[in-house]
Amino acid sequence: MQFEKHVRVRQEKFGAVVFETLSEKLFVTNETGARILRLLEERKSVDAVAADLSRVYRKEPVGIREEVQEFVQKLQTNGIMMKEPQE
Amino acid sequence: MTHDPTQAAPAAAIAGTSYSDFDAPLFVAWQLNSACNLSCLHCCEEVGDHLFSDELTPEEVTFFLKQIVDLRIPYVAISGGEPLLHPRFFEISSFLRAHGTSLKVETNGLLIDRQVANRIGALGFRSVQVSVDGSTPQTFRMMRPNGDWEKVVEACDHLVAAGVTTEIVFVPSKFNIHETGDVIEMAYRMGTYGFYTGKIMRIGRAARNWDLLCPTETEYEKFFDVLKEKQTKYDGKMKIYYYPYDVVEELRYRLDCPAASLLVIPNGKVKLIGPLPFVCADLRRHSLSEAWQRYKRAWREPEVVTFAKRVVEDPRLLGEANKWVELYPGC
Repeated sequence: MQFEKHVRVRQEKFGAVVFETLSEKLFVTNETGARILRLLEERKSVDAVAADLSRVYRKEPVGIREEVQEFVQKLQTNGIMMKEPQE
Repeated sequence: MTHDPTQAAPAAAIAGTSYSDFDAPLFVAWQLNSACNLSCLHCCEEVGDHLFSDELTPEEVTFFLKQIVDLRIPYVAISGGEPLLHPRFFEISSFLRAHGTSLKVETNGLLIDRQVANRIGALGFRSVQVSVDGSTPQTFRMMRPNGDWEKVVEACDHLVAAGVTTEIVFVPSKFNIHETGDVIEMAYRMGTYGFYTGKIMRIGRAARNWDLLCPTETEYEKFFDVLKEKQTKYDGKMKIYYYPYDVVEELRYRLDCPAASLLVIPNGKVKLIGPLPFVCADLRRHSLSEAWQRYKRAWREPEVVTFAKRVVEDPRLLGEANKWVELYPGC
């Protein structure tokens, strides 16, 4: 999974800010979202992100995976992440 | 810390998060130089007759660039003057791009030939905005005396051919407002990414020429009708952006919600916002991080709030925008 070309992500005290500079749209997220974004920047898969969150937050990975997937879909819908070719 | 990633879903906008929450600016508008090869009637920066004798030195520019990268400022817009006249334009652009900064350049296009367009294309700018204030050379020259419309159109063609995200910027005035639709059609034929416009700003030379330039309300009504019509026509084919508010309305809004951005003028002074004369920092004396803290503080200064409110009451005061006032002299 890759971020769109003109997207920039910056970690902040409150979480992270995502700047889609082509449309000049800003998105903000909390610390959990910031962690997900950091892992996605490292090209981690949804499964790997879910496993990380499961370990950090001591929750069952199954539910977390769905939530991460939903988060990623929102990023794609908002033009922040590229859609996978098969989607 | 929440354990629920659904709460981490991106908000629809920046609403709810104030500029003061950010550790550093999100955007830097950098007027790189004051030199210009034109002398446009509506120039906000009054270049040509407002030349800086104390522009940042090469060493100071390098230090500034490093700070932009260190603070992870995501987005920088370079303008002038005419930025392509700056001897280090490509060096500066390359540095920012090499560090992943999104970069927009605002130019009059006169110095862009095929070779320059290809160099720009190779750097992967966010976009290049070219000012095209008319669909005919005659109209164009009324706004931009000695401007070469054919050359500017050619520059856009070169940029598009080089794969550069090219945006046309159109400033409406009494001289050209009737050509708005034609310029949009031209922008589409040229294959540009987008068309940007909004009401002319009463700043700089435009303030001095206000009666000559400012369209009537009726002309603006037609203008916005044309924009809406073209936006529908080119939906999904070309972006048509227009800002419906004038600079006074913008200022009124910014008093409550300052932007998370800094405006740096060629001598390294940091202005609060284009329409106000206030300078809150000097990059020769302050780090970019300090400038950001001073900017946040400055918006709450009674002097700023009072003056901005006066401007809202009497827009003629916008003519003072380039008579800089140091908010913290000597500090």
